[in-house]
Amino acid sequence: MIAFIVNGLPHEVDESRGDERLIDFLHDELNLTGTKFCCGVGICRACTVAASRPPNGAATPIVSCSTALSSVDGVSIVTIEGVSEGGALLPVQQAFLRHFAFQCGYCAPGFVMAAKIFLDGLAAAPVAREELDQAIQQAIGSHICRCTGYVRYYEALREVAEAVLDKKG
Amino acid sequence: MQVHRGGTCGVPFQRRTFLKGAAGLVGVTIMGVPTRGRAEAPLSAPAGGRSTPGVATMRIDGRAKVTGQKIFARDFNARDMPGWQATQWYGFYLCALTTEHVFLGLDLSSLPDRVKPARIILGDQLSAAVRKPKLRRWRDPLVERRVRDLQAAAMQAPAGAGFDNPLSGEPDLIVPRGNVPDFLGQAVALLMFDSIARYRAAKRFMQFRDAEFQIYALDSAAAKGMNAPFPPTTTYVKYFQGGETFSYATANNYKDEINNYKDRIATFLSGHKEFLTQEFDVSRIAMDPMFMEPEAGLAWHEAALGTLHLVLGTQSPDGDASNIKSMFDAADSPVRLKEIRLTSCYPGGGFGGRDSSPFSLLLALAAAFSDGHPVKVAYDRFEQFRVGLKRPAAALQGALVCAPDMKLQLVRMTINLDGGGLKNLSPYVASLASLCAGGSYEFPMANVFAQSVHTRNIPGGSQRGFGGPEAFLAVETALDDLAAAQKWDPIAMRRANLATAASLTVVGGPIAQDLQLAEMLDRVEAHPLWAQRDQIKSSYPARGLVYGTGIAMSLQAYGTSGDGMVAAVLIGPEGRLTVQSDAVDMGNGSATTLGVVIGGSLGANADQVDMGCSTLFGQTRLEESTDYIPHWKDRPFWTAKGVGSSSACLTGLHQVHTVQQTATALMAGAVLPAARIVWKRPDLQLADVEWVDGSLRERGGAGRASSRAELAKAIYDAGLPRGALGHAYFQSKWVEGDFETPGGTRRLSLDGLAFYGHGQDKPNPNPVPRQNTFAPDADVWRYSRFVWAPCVNVVGLTVDTTTGRVQIENVLSVLNAGRVYVPELVSGQSQGGVAMAIGYTLFEDMPVGMAGPANGRWNLDKYHVPRAEDLPLSASYAPGRRAQELIVMPETPGDNAEGRGIAEAVMCSVAPAISNAIRDAVGRRFASLPITPAKVLQGLAQP
Repeated sequence: MIAFIVNGLPHEVDESRGDERLIDFLHDELNLTGTKFCCGVGICRACTVAASRPPNGAATPIVSCSTALSSVDGVSIVTIEGVSEGGALLPVQQAFLRHFAFQCGYCAPGFVMAAKIFLDGLAAAPVAREELDQAIQQAIGSHICRCTGYVRYYEALREVAEAVLDKKG
Repeated sequence: MQVHRGGTCGVPFQRRTFLKGAAGLVGVTIMGVPTRGRAEAPLSAPAGGRSTPGVATMRIDGRAKVTGQKIFARDFNARDMPGWQATQWYGFYLCALTTEHVFLGLDLSSLPDRVKPARIILGDQLSAAVRKPKLRRWRDPLVERRVRDLQAAAMQAPAGAGFDNPLSGEPDLIVPRGNVPDFLGQAVALLMFDSIARYRAAKRFMQFRDAEFQIYALDSAAAKGMNAPFPPTTTYVKYFQGGETFSYATANNYKDEINNYKDRIATFLSGHKEFLTQEFDVSRIAMDPMFMEPEAGLAWHEAALGTLHLVLGTQSPDGDASNIKSMFDAADSPVRLKEIRLTSCYPGGGFGGRDSSPFSLLLALAAAFSDGHPVKVAYDRFEQFRVGLKRPAAALQGALVCAPDMKLQLVRMTINLDGGGLKNLSPYVASLASLCAGGSYEFPMANVFAQSVHTRNIPGGSQRGFGGPEAFLAVETALDDLAAAQKWDPIAMRRANLATAASLTVVGGPIAQDLQLAEMLDRVEAHPLWAQRDQIKSSYPARGLVYGTGIAMSLQAYGTSGDGMVAAVLIGPEGRLTVQSDAVDMGNGSATTLGVVIGGSLGANADQVDMGCSTLFGQTRLEESTDYIPHWKDRPFWTAKGVGSSSACLTGLHQVHTVQQTATALMAGAVLPAARIVWKRPDLQLADVEWVDGSLRERGGAGRASSRAELAKAIYDAGLPRGALGHAYFQSKWVEGDFETPGGTRRLSLDGLAFYGHGQDKPNPNPVPRQNTFAPDADVWRYSRFVWAPCVNVVGLTVDTTTGRVQIENVLSVLNAGRVYVPELVSGQSQGGVAMAIGYTLFEDMPVGMAGPANGRWNLDKYHVPRAEDLPLSASYAPGRRAQELIVMPETPGDNAEGRGIAEAVMCSVAPAISNAIRDAVGRRFASLPITPAKVLQGLAQP
């Protein structure tokens, strides 16, 4: 059996389903459609979810359209539906709203997930301010958005990242 | 605040309009997506909790999008839809591999049992009406008049006089066995699956293996109509010399005199040997809109009720419903339709690619063959590339003729678009491209021809810019070459020829707007990106790069030759305000804009905005006729056009106007009479009152003040209207009329008005006759367009002459947007447009034919859309920083307190600015898009 966690809840599938895509499981069986299908070949990163292997806890972004269920055995997955507790928005979600960062919004969940992972990592291991732009580019630079030209996404994430660094002193 | 797609007005009802067909009336209801009681963020929520009327601090749909809620068609399955049968089928189409051999059928014998479809539908199993539906195009009266004239001429032609396939209908939705496919990607079969596991397994098994499953005859054959133009073509000849005038818009016998005036132009030029001629030959390949959500939808034919349920993200919900009804209209239809219930979802991007897309027909067709189960059709990205509507490839040749004093004399241009296998909207694109051939300039003479040609390629249609970008690419690069050859300053050259409010276009129609083109050039000249371009340039060779600066202008014409819009504004019993529009928000933010523009009239932003309400027009009870005979004076319930497709450029002027006028009607017809009752002031007039901090009070501060809630209670207690429904028509001017309201007679820039009463199970507003109508002159449609969104772009870029790579360093866009309602949305459209233009100018490349996406193997590994590193990301220019800066011109009195439709405006001149900048950098013209590194190196290698 392949056992994994999604948004805190455990799931098991038979090993014979190991070749199935994670995004299809999220959509078809859990009705978690916040993770968006766009290219299906792991390039656009709209389908980004957070994956961590307990007990380490440090999350990395994975592209669920190109992740087989067999590779998430023992992994804890967090999707866009699972990032905010009690309906409260993350600071980066609030910043995306404040900055009008997205337009059609189809890529937004992927950006949120990648940004959240980046900001959590930044809080744990801050970088020098002069390295922040490069760090942001590494975090979301591969994400594709067709509507916005990325300017406002970067503005919003930079604002939140600087606040994280400010807090860290 | 709640966001609904074609919502419910807080009352359980069915919004209906009726489409008349051979089978009788078919009801069409447009529904909102099923909400789950989500709390939505208020439209604007500054500290303190009270929103500022007219100001948006975030997108109205933002919270739903940033939290991944179900709002896109792709998100939904039957289990999510209230009242739907839960068991869902799945369908996908197999696509034609050739247009040169007869399709004989399928061979699925190699499919293992676990992937075999439950049903296979072939084209010859469909009735003619289903296989080849009659599509209604009601998009642009100018173009449709020409089609009507062609059809009339064809009917009068002698039998056998000509091949009229382009006039006679559409290609088959599914190619019948024994026929040659009309275009690559045309469907040859529909495979239906009764389980998701089997469906997914089949897609995986069959992907990239098309040739194994399709059988074609060995002998060569040809599809019909190839290389014939889709009608109508467009010819604009203009001759304004020595007091003599001739143009499409002004001549009484235009068609008969075209050749005569072409000769006159030639004669005039032959008498001016001193004139300078700058030839041009530019081209661009087709472009994929690459919106992020591949087309997907649900359909369910509930046979017992004769209802077809659809869930779709489309820019043209009313047009789609009409065409689906037409498909199932014949007596031998596989389904009986009494009603179409369309849930209109937010599209995950559109850019024109979801306007009149064939997807809606293919989805509806699947519902006829799913044994009564709901069916989902969802393209993956390979399929979307394979069949999705493209920006047509374009080739433009011609010349600019100029006097030695820089004054432009003539634009001569031939525009050929590759329309692909479906007519779709490409002739309309060609028509607008012809108008845009005049650019931002006054030309006394013009000779422009444009056509969209039927080819075997993936169909092309409406895309952002709608022909404008193609024309501006030709004009602006030619101008630049001319200026360079004559050693003229490129801005001085443009200044010498700028169109003004007094100018006439190449069509002969008036500009009649305050464009501020000269002032925009002033801003450019003063900006360091232009003013210091030589200094900036000098810093790059040390880095092994060459730098160039390019400028280009665009005068994008938005709207069509006659536009109808509809909107409703409602007030709930506690004062909650709802705005409803037939328009679709595809990400441009029209829902947000329409929510705040009522702030001036009603003292608050909308609490709820419903988009995609395509049944609103039916509620107006306005009669719409297609015979082009105006009845403004004699029919008080008549309009020249109901509604059209949603283009992002129709928000700033058209949709805003309609919502604002409707809000004024509600104010006059309900709020004012309520205030009279509450304040016991029967003489109160609208001019006597104002909204202050959410309360209505008398101007001057004396007298009572009432909250909106108090006034709403009075409205409901007195049975005053709880909402207003307005329809507006724009054709160079807005139609106006006097309307009787409970608050008195009110003159409005609407051509239709109705008021919603109380106690109705279904909305059934009471229409008010229009009186004392002012209407545009009957012939203004000949102007083609009436409103303009000017922009100037300056691009600074580097060229690596060893790799051929071009990098955009800086972009400056100066935009005339008129009145700006939500600045963040305007700048967002600018940034997105710059990105898209950089993409198709430098990166996005795909061959035609089976070497390209038509082979089903194309994805983002092959089609490179810009990523962040490809674009300048700072929002303001500073030396050493890559930035894209937007300057929005201040509003002027000439804007009449109205906005402009700018969704396309900034994008339109970026490509020629890039080409001009490359020429400045390396001294060579690259006029074939995309300008790839290989092309740059090839060009540099030439002597």
